Amino acid sequence: MNKCRGKKPDLLAYVGGEMSDRDREDIRRHIEACPACADEVRELERLLEGADSLGREMRQVLAGIDWDAQAEKVVSAVWDRGPRPLGKPRGVRPWLPALPFGPVLAGLLIGILVGAAAMFFVLRDGTLRKTPAEAFFASGEFLSRVDQEIARRETLDYLEKSQYVLLELAQTQTESGECRLSEAATLKTRELLSKKKYLNPQLEKARMAKAKAICDQIEILFYELAQISESLTPAQCRGIQNLIEERNILLKIKLLKKELQESEV
Amino acid sequence: MIATHEDVSILLDRASQGDRQAFKNIVGLYQQKVFLLAYSILGHREDALDVVQETFMRLYQKLDAYEKDRNFQAWLLQIAKNLSIDYYRKHREKRREMESLRSVEELQLAADDHRSDPESPGLRHVISRNIERLGERQRLIFVMKHLNGLEYREIAQVLGISVGTVKSLHFKAVRNLRNWLSPELGMQP
Repeated sequence: MNKCRGKKPDLLAYVGGEMSDRDREDIRRHIEACPACADEVRELERLLEGADSLGREMRQVLAGIDWDAQAEKVVSAVWDRGPRPLGKPRGVRPWLPALPFGPVLAGLLIGILVGAAAMFFVLRDGTLRKTPAEAFFASGEFLSRVDQEIARRETLDYLEKSQYVLLELAQTQTESGECRLSEAATLKTRELLSKKKYLNPQLEKARMAKAKAICDQIEILFYELAQISESLTPAQCRGIQNLIEERNILLKIKLLKKELQESEV
Repeated sequence: MIATHEDVSILLDRASQGDRQAFKNIVGLYQQKVFLLAYSILGHREDALDVVQETFMRLYQKLDAYEKDRNFQAWLLQIAKNLSIDYYRKHREKRREMESLRSVEELQLAADDHRSDPESPGLRHVISRNIERLGERQRLIFVMKHLNGLEYREIAQVLGISVGTVKSLHFKAVRNLRNWLSPELGMQP
């Protein structure tokens, strides 16, 4: 039965005479071996014969009508109704004459027109004249003042941190006469040495010669400190302390800090 | 008389310029096909003739809309089909009343008369009544195929669907009719 299920549409085509001779022969052989399908073919034949006889009946109705008179009647009714509405000539598109890909070209044309209209309004409003770059424009003078301010702040920070380290060094002295820098101060010394490398170009660019000279002296001291071991002998300690005193480094730092704080850009 | 596509195109050109005789020739060429379609949908001679007249009136109004590369017959039958369906829907109530007035004897005649001869008026009547029960598209396809004698391809053009869909709907229509008619005709569903 399952084998027959797929043949149902074929049975209809067989009855309707709408298959090739080869397929027709296949179905004929199947019908001979399958009584159920043979019954169905007979039923379909009766059904379609009945339907076709309806068609024949209809054609009899057709034969009973005077078609010449009918045509005249139709045309008279059409002409009596009045003139045909005027429209474009049949099959002619004057705006897109006989071009292939008509819809594509029409879409392209509309796109160009819309784009042109949009450009017209944009240019008329002057929107394009305000370039985005103008919103971020800064004068050379402003940029140099920014550089100067950054250098000032960085120098102040450097001096502040150096002052702490040097003060600690100046005041550190144990009873045994040996002076020892704290671990934090040692780390700070190394950090300040690295910071000075980045500070140099900023000071030169901002033309802060006086600040650079003092920072250079501090740097020399830190280099000496870094070269000597963390634990200084009393003599080494005394030597560095003398250097700080002789050169008035702490005083210079204080004065320079004051000057920089007052000269805020 | 079989008119070629070029002949029809020339007639349409002349008709669109107001040539009455050209338009009458078009009517003469296609009015019977339009009538058969309308009659198979409506099942009433006078109603079908009304639709024929309305179809050609609509054609005359739409002459400018016809594109030369289209199949004119399919386009015209499409207009006729739409008008027939509109007419059928508009007059559905009237048709139902007429159906209910049909005598029981008439139906009995159909039941008694068909078994010996498939072309008997009784069987025709039973088939005709059951065609009315089909869904709209199945009914249209069945009548266009068996009553109008149109090919699958022509039906597909008139309905604006693929040939495969037409074949599938036709198969369903036949299957439904066979199932409905089987108790009356002694078939095995």
